[in-house]
Amino acid sequence: MSEPIITIEQVSFKYPGGSEWVLQDSSLTVNKGEFLAIIGGNGSGKSTLCKTINGLIPHYYTGDFEGSVLVNGINTYESTVSVLSQKVGYVYQDFENQLMRPTVFEDVAFAPLNFGEPNFKEKAEWALNVLGLTNIKDKSIWQLSGGQKHLTAIAGVLALNPEILIIDEPVAQLDPHHAKEIYEKLKVLQQNHGKTIIVIEHHTEFIADFCSDVALLDQGGVLWKHDVKAGLQRIDDLLVRQISPPQVTQAAVSAHNPSSNELPITIHEAADYFRKYKRNDAGKEKHVPPLNEKTEELVRLEHVSHYAKSLKNKKHVILDDIHLSIRERERIALVGTNGAGKSTLMKSLAGIIKPSEGTGQIGPFELEKTSLEKLSQVVAYVFQNPEEMFIEDSISKDLSFFADSRKLKMEEFLQQLVTSFRLEKVIDKDGRLISGGQQRRSALAIGLAIQPSLLMLDEPTASLDVKSRQEMVKTLHQASNQVKSVLIATHDMQLVAEWASRVIVMDKGKIIYDGLPVDMFAKDYICDLAGLIPPQIVQLSNQLKLDPVALSISDFMNHVEMEESYGVR
Amino acid sequence: MEFVSRLKKTYNLEWIKLELLKTAFGKKDSYMGRKDPRLIIAWYFIVSLLPWFTFNQTILAGLLLYTTVMSLVSRVSPLIITLLTIGVISELFYIIVLVLLFGGEWAAFSSLITFTMKITIMSIASIAAFASMDPEKLSDALLSFGVPPQFSFAVSYGYRMLPILLDEYQQIILSFRLRGKAPCNGGFFKWRTIYYYSKIVVKAFYPMMLNTAKKTRTTVEALEVKGFTYSLHNKEAKKLKLSHLKVSAQDHRFILLSFGILLVIYAAGKYYPL
Repeated sequence: MSEPIITIEQVSFKYPGGSEWVLQDSSLTVNKGEFLAIIGGNGSGKSTLCKTINGLIPHYYTGDFEGSVLVNGINTYESTVSVLSQKVGYVYQDFENQLMRPTVFEDVAFAPLNFGEPNFKEKAEWALNVLGLTNIKDKSIWQLSGGQKHLTAIAGVLALNPEILIIDEPVAQLDPHHAKEIYEKLKVLQQNHGKTIIVIEHHTEFIADFCSDVALLDQGGVLWKHDVKAGLQRIDDLLVRQISPPQVTQAAVSAHNPSSNELPITIHEAADYFRKYKRNDAGKEKHVPPLNEKTEELVRLEHVSHYAKSLKNKKHVILDDIHLSIRERERIALVGTNGAGKSTLMKSLAGIIKPSEGTGQIGPFELEKTSLEKLSQVVAYVFQNPEEMFIEDSISKDLSFFADSRKLKMEEFLQQLVTSFRLEKVIDKDGRLISGGQQRRSALAIGLAIQPSLLMLDEPTASLDVKSRQEMVKTLHQASNQVKSVLIATHDMQLVAEWASRVIVMDKGKIIYDGLPVDMFAKDYICDLAGLIPPQIVQLSNQLKLDPVALSISDFMNHVEMEESYGVR
Repeated sequence: MEFVSRLKKTYNLEWIKLELLKTAFGKKDSYMGRKDPRLIIAWYFIVSLLPWFTFNQTILAGLLLYTTVMSLVSRVSPLIITLLTIGVISELFYIIVLVLLFGGEWAAFSSLITFTMKITIMSIASIAAFASMDPEKLSDALLSFGVPPQFSFAVSYGYRMLPILLDEYQQIILSFRLRGKAPCNGGFFKWRTIYYYSKIVVKAFYPMMLNTAKKTRTTVEALEVKGFTYSLHNKEAKKLKLSHLKVSAQDHRFILLSFGILLVIYAAGKYYPL
């Protein structure tokens, strides 16, 4: 079991034309059959380190390379990318761009075909079978959901039957439900097929549940590698590098349970750790902020339904008799699985889609009679992919596009936006060339620049690292003060717990829940039905039967204490 | 008004997108789609070159009828047919105007019609051949004709990118519309509105190209990892790739049938010239 399959020794690397060493004296040993998570802050060299394993470095990126990498006994420096890629499969973070054939089967068979394997069809069939994709093998890539695309990308490298699989941020672009499914499949590959799996990951909850080991990178070097249990307990090391440890571990650190000297890292362990804890305000009336009934109604939808035709001319119901009222000063989270109808609902509100049936009112406008151009004066819609918001060649031009096209004077307001969203540094740059977090903040500012009454955002926190995500949540709180109401479609349950005042759950085109987040999380069947995975701290509260559930770590710490001490204080 | 709004609901940008995708990704089960792709390409070249060697209008009319039937058999999308019809009708219209304007007579009209027929046969033949062909088959057929692998790969990759480009383009046009301001007063024949949208349609190209270019960075790396470069220098890989191309009995029937039909058309042209 413990024979090393990858040995990286004293590797340093500088990209061609780059001035800094991205890797510096990195050493790492990975054993056969390990499920290793590589963690580290932005720019710590995680992806670069992984590219030394499949030979892209130093053969494709011919920068300055020192040290040695041994993969399965082969010195990568003396080998070639084509030999190494049959031993090491690599799945990119933007896996969609890794799929280059029109159908699933063609794509999965592409690599074995290129390497001239006579039985390339069987190899592809095998990979599809292992990942449970056989039923979609004839589908076109563009018809697939995000989760299916990711599995196809994995199958595409698995078809070469490599001993090692490297997956860069498997869950960044997926909803939690699909993310878990990916990890379960990876676990199968590791346990039943003896693969060595390496993931670059910063969601420590997933690491705790699935990985066997964890390595921390810092400034181009491997700081340490431990088994998962030991690694995730070094929470000071993690926090310094903007990696947030599992919520239950953080809660346990502040709880200081004297009877346990090990911190829990999974829900299961935490339930044991906190077994004797209970809510100190149980039975007291819930501190529920009353829904603001007095504010004015901003949006009203009645009997709204929408149908669409598929490629085979079949009629699909996307929205099914929706009734909805949005009042001023609401912060609404719209949740549900992919395909539940969230985007269509938002597009209907923005006037992009005219619903097939039903009536609606937004501010002064009647939905079915108002053009998209008129509606966009009261409704702003920020797309999921911020790049699609950048239609000019600099952020400042993008911000003023709305004002300029209407000959409005808004310099002061725009300047205010730039300051409060910390965009000073990027104001003259093209939106495509700035970092992910900056892109999201810019897109949000562009949405606000039209001074809308209702602001809608599609997945504002997806694929952001922890630090950018925290900044984004802060920015969203600021944005709530600038507009009358905010509606966010999201898979990020932590965002729902920390930010929303109201949550709407959709499933198969219907609204199946509409109310307070704290109540939704307490209802298991709603979460199951809509494929939601509540934040760890909420799951823990549910396991401990706390009522109401704690939505954040601080909430948990403030209201939960050990049974023995209850009533003594 | 009711009619117009219903028309608007059925025939919108989404519909165009769907029709284009249907055309691009072919109907594998159609008559032409089941044939060996190399055969179809050969058929296309023969049928679209033949008109240029004759001025016999009977033959041209026959070829026109033949290609039209073939395109109907391969169930071409109504969008493509409409576009083509608009093209042909406006062409005819301008020929008539031209002839009337210069006081021409039947001879001038007739020779212009001949030219139009030739062009039309070519375009209908290409629709019949390529609209029913699976992109993979097209690219493999090209490869087997000795076209460089980079080019034949580019053809199939282009098809893969098509839906991505369309989506991206649609989103960016939306961005322009959501933040821009359409003219309130359309002006004579709504020319201001038309000008406004035409400008958007052109402007949206640049962000689309930039966004797409950025995405291809991963693709290039992945091509390397998936052995595409390796396969370029490997004869075995190419052979393997083309092993599924086989001429079957139904292909032989197709050759005979096409040959027969062309023979009949030429015979008719010889004995009954228009």
